[in-house]
Amino acid sequence: MGSRLQLAVLLLLLWLPCGAFAQAIQYTRPVETAPQEKTIAGGYKTPSVQKPLPRDYWFQVMDVVLLAAAMGVSVWLVLKRRSRRWLIGLAIFSLAYFGFYREGCVCPIGSLQNVAVALTDPKYSIPMVVIATFFLPLFVALFFGRAFCGGVCALGAMQEMVVLKPLQVPRKLDRALGLLKYAYLLLAIVLAIKPAIARDFVICRFDPFVGFFRHTGAPHMLMIGGAFLAGGMFIGRPYCRWLCPYGALLNWCSRLSKRGVSITPHRELDCGLCNEACPYGAIEQMRAVRKDCLYCARCYSSCPNEGERARAKDSLVAIGGGAK
Amino acid sequence: MIRRLTRISAAVIGALTLLLLVDWAVATIRTPKDDKLVKALQEKVKDDASLAPKLAAEQKRVTDYRRSRKRRDNWTGNGLIAAAIVFLYCAKRKLPRHIPAAPQRATRSTGDNHGHACRRQAEATPDTIDLAFVDETVARIGRNREAAIPLLQAIQTHYRYLPDEALRRLCEITEITPAQIAGTSSFYGQFRRSPVGEHIVKVCHGTACHVAGARQVSDELRRYLAIPEGEDTDPSRQFTVEEVACLGCCSLAPVLMVDEHTAGRLTPTTAPEALRPFEKEPA
Repeated sequence: MGSRLQLAVLLLLLWLPCGAFAQAIQYTRPVETAPQEKTIAGGYKTPSVQKPLPRDYWFQVMDVVLLAAAMGVSVWLVLKRRSRRWLIGLAIFSLAYFGFYREGCVCPIGSLQNVAVALTDPKYSIPMVVIATFFLPLFVALFFGRAFCGGVCALGAMQEMVVLKPLQVPRKLDRALGLLKYAYLLLAIVLAIKPAIARDFVICRFDPFVGFFRHTGAPHMLMIGGAFLAGGMFIGRPYCRWLCPYGALLNWCSRLSKRGVSITPHRELDCGLCNEACPYGAIEQMRAVRKDCLYCARCYSSCPNEGERARAKDSLVAIGGGAK
Repeated sequence: MIRRLTRISAAVIGALTLLLLVDWAVATIRTPKDDKLVKALQEKVKDDASLAPKLAAEQKRVTDYRRSRKRRDNWTGNGLIAAAIVFLYCAKRKLPRHIPAAPQRATRSTGDNHGHACRRQAEATPDTIDLAFVDETVARIGRNREAAIPLLQAIQTHYRYLPDEALRRLCEITEITPAQIAGTSSFYGQFRRSPVGEHIVKVCHGTACHVAGARQVSDELRRYLAIPEGEDTDPSRQFTVEEVACLGCCSLAPVLMVDEHTAGRLTPTTAPEALRPFEKEPA
């Protein structure tokens, strides 16, 4: 408990410097490359279309609220309701809203670059919503595990939808590939905290799925994304497990979590069906490993005991309904 | 139906992807050409103003092409997403994840028209029963009330269960009442009123096996064989799964017997394998 609180406080302390400068600056985006009104004579007015305004502030706040709410629902569905079916519903919502409607931005994965820059460059400031987007999933991971990955992350939800017939990847290979995400995280931070002129947000540039959300993108990224999805039918969520740099942070935070996916506590059968059902290699010795568990709830839906539980609950509900 | 939808949507996905790729390839070839053409015209127009309409037309053509491509790709992309949704939905419904054999077995064996042995047997039993055996047995054993149990045992040995027709016949030709038959046949565990499968699977539920997970073994077998709730025989009448008190080999717990063959140290995963040697491959 102590270490978790300490880390939570540490995260909060990290939060403060990012936010300190951010709110004072009014966001404007002048059109600088196009000819300005002054240089064009004759009282020319730049049409307003050329000045794309940011979304209304309350809209941005709503995104954060929805993010928090979706994570709350995800935790509740997985830990209390223990229902995969509802979690799929949540994933579809997240895919539709955070993915296709918000076009994959702001997402916590990319926001880690902005936060890294804000922490190192005093001239760079980021709005509160981005900070919240970055820290909220980490906070949740600190206490409940990677609830963000399961039904909230649009990239994760997209891959979750395509899982058809997952193969079990040999554990050693899985571990080795899993190291890639730390390298990617390091690379992303190093490239992000370079001086402004040489700054490169690689995570966003090489986001394999954002092209699908936006219906456009570099052809090679669309093809890579397509390959990820096609491969994802047989290998569960390759991006999340092996490449996602934010996954690396969530991985660290969730190690400290006390609660998380627990497969039929006190009533396990040692039958191993959950082990077979987990496409992400996150079950070791019949226990979900917090740091790797992606909150998909497949282990529940595959469990004979869970089914019994649900049936018992349903019949109680039926009896309750009949009594009134 | 679902299988067909899966195939169609997969084909649509392939076709749309191909369309996008071809469109992209064509565009990558055309774009630099168009750009070069327009640029050259722009240079020429500086010297010769009469070429201006041609430049305008050319620019319009290029813009139109790019806009139509954008629109086309957008619609193709939407179609791709829709087809992917249909494909994933159908493919997921088609693939049962952990209980692969169960639902298929039932449909497979009713669907084959060569009619292998156990199916014939299953169809033959309900109505066309050779009742001559009942007459013979009654003549041999007797028609008093005391003869009820030996008669029922003989009938059960012959038919492997107590067919309703045989019992009705028994009531007609002896002094035994239907009430007595109902009482006797439901009181003794040795009698059964529904047809048995070709093989009888006895799953031990003795103390040792119970502790070692016999319940899960039974459940898994029922799931594997697609035995409906409340019954003990699978739809193709190959296996009857019974729960018995003790098979006397607790050291092998959990244990089951298929006819006279014993299989021990089972898990829900290995239990169906114990049945495999006895399964009939449908023709």
